[in-house]
Amino acid sequence: MKKMLEVKNLEISFDTFAGKVQAIRNVSFDLKKGETLAIVGESGSGKSVTTRSLMKLLASNANVENGEILFDGQNILEKSEGEMRKLRGSKISMIFQDPMTSLDPTMPIGKQVAEPLMIHHQASKKEAYKKALELLEMVGLPNAKDRFKNYPHQFSGGQRQRIVIAIALICNPEVLIADEPTTALDVTIQAQILELLKDLQKKVKTSIVFITHDLGVVANIADRVAVMYAGKIVEIGTAEEIFYNPRHPYTWGLLGSMPSIESSASRLYAIPGTPPDLLQPPKGDAFYPRNEFALKIDAEQQPPYFEVSKTHKAATWLLAPQAPEVTPPEEIQKRWKKFEELKRAKEVKDNE
Amino acid sequence: MLFNKANKQNIKTEAGEPISLPPSGFKLVLKELLKDKFAIFSILVLVLILLFTFLGSAFVSKESLDTNILDGLMPAFSSGHFLGTDEGGKDILSLLIVGGRNSIVIGISVTAISIILGLVIGLISGYFGGVVDDIFMRIIDFIMVLPRFMIIIILTTIISNYNAFTLILLISLFSWTSSARYFRSFVLAQREREYVMASKASGSSNVAIMFREVLPNISSMIIIDVVLGIAGNIGIETGLSFLGYGLPASTPSLGTLIGYANDPVNIMSRPWVWLPAVVMLLIISYMINYVGTVFQRAADARQRR
Repeated sequence: MKKMLEVKNLEISFDTFAGKVQAIRNVSFDLKKGETLAIVGESGSGKSVTTRSLMKLLASNANVENGEILFDGQNILEKSEGEMRKLRGSKISMIFQDPMTSLDPTMPIGKQVAEPLMIHHQASKKEAYKKALELLEMVGLPNAKDRFKNYPHQFSGGQRQRIVIAIALICNPEVLIADEPTTALDVTIQAQILELLKDLQKKVKTSIVFITHDLGVVANIADRVAVMYAGKIVEIGTAEEIFYNPRHPYTWGLLGSMPSIESSASRLYAIPGTPPDLLQPPKGDAFYPRNEFALKIDAEQQPPYFEVSKTHKAATWLLAPQAPEVTPPEEIQKRWKKFEELKRAKEVKDNE
Repeated sequence: MLFNKANKQNIKTEAGEPISLPPSGFKLVLKELLKDKFAIFSILVLVLILLFTFLGSAFVSKESLDTNILDGLMPAFSSGHFLGTDEGGKDILSLLIVGGRNSIVIGISVTAISIILGLVIGLISGYFGGVVDDIFMRIIDFIMVLPRFMIIIILTTIISNYNAFTLILLISLFSWTSSARYFRSFVLAQREREYVMASKASGSSNVAIMFREVLPNISSMIIIDVVLGIAGNIGIETGLSFLGYGLPASTPSLGTLIGYANDPVNIMSRPWVWLPAVVMLLIISYMINYVGTVFQRAADARQRR
């Protein structure tokens, strides 16, 4: 499949009063056409910075130290502001986290949806408005025609997020970046918005980068998952692999802290400790202080990526050939078992 | 029958009908204005004054503004001169109409120039920040420490061919700075809002974001600054004319009329020469200020009643 987006060895730091914060430390991933890649991680793990760098919308105190971001074979980081402006909203577009603040309060919503079309395709006002109305109906905004000239504050949160999605989709972007698009919404609306995104992806064949800290949402929408911790991708694989065959202790912790119907524990697990200070990133594995399965080498050396399968790799010394056998938490063992079952079922199916 | 299954086939995912909507923008300001009886009264009075001065000017005969020593110093309510005449025999009522109009025109022009200039510079400075902001702010700081009245007074005496237009430019030269600062502070706050980032993410240019998105979002501040600015600038013009450095002597204004009060004899025994202009100035300034504060209240949710 064609690769839409390739991020290679990206390193980004921020100048602050306290010093240089190394927010992104050697991140690489790619995005294929039509797939959904979810980036998961806790607050401050660098998810949002990664996505903003895809749009080249980083704050002025950010420095890209190293790496490249290839879109259609061209390095985005070398593009001028004018060239970026042509890409933004047309080829790559973005849905922001909070629909309450990401719409202009003083512009009618119809105009806001139509605007990218007028900027990028020099569409006439009439055409753009017509397309905007169609799109607003497609994203399921009730009474779109009557409400075309209404202002953002006259809509509910879910309706506003539909409008924001319409703005992001109007130019049929090749890559859609969704930065926690459901975080600010309540659960029922969340489900509707996720369904909508899935439907729209089928219709317009967009690749989606989906940022979230909610694993439930990930299970719902992602083809592939990248788990981020302290500015690095610690594990990346297909959704099935991450959910049922997780190999990194941090992924174990994340999955363990997600409530599920099957889990028998009476108390919800929480990963102890806090993420490291990225002003002085640790020499070894950043997860070392919080990791109950840590090896001595974790304190000394950063783990490289070990391949679990062709699509699945994780950065943990536990996968090194010399590493001792570790028994993961019960919850994870169950998941592994399920993964084996799934694999066997697949093999049976393939043999038939 | 009541316990039959209800017909529920078309349940929509979200409420279809718009609920009653809170008023916004100008509607809100208007609502706030209409709630305030004194504000309505103020606006009515201001409209009457505008009609009186602007329409009245059309009916003022040229002779009534000419010097005519024989008719000098007629008291108020004398025949042919409702408000009397000054020493030169000019009709005070005519002077009041034409002078009031001139003062208002100057006040409005100065406000228009300084608001437009202040708005553009405030937007650029606040939106781009950094070095651009620093440069503009240091220039503004510099202009603000200059003693503006002294400079205007000196320049009026230096400039040959001095007329109302040059006076407008001179006052504007100094008054745009406070507007620019005022707007900059709001633009700074707006710039950090997510819709600006979202708009960038959909490919809008900086100029488009500045003028089509940030500008409408600070519109209520602009209205307030315009309204209060007009009152302030009429005051400045009047003050300068009173001191004799405003409009040239041949052009009447509220200030020149009030300037008659410089003469102790006038102030003691000929109130008709200066009193009408004083009253008119007070009414205009007070009413405009009051309307301005109502706008301000309407625009600020915390002060809203």
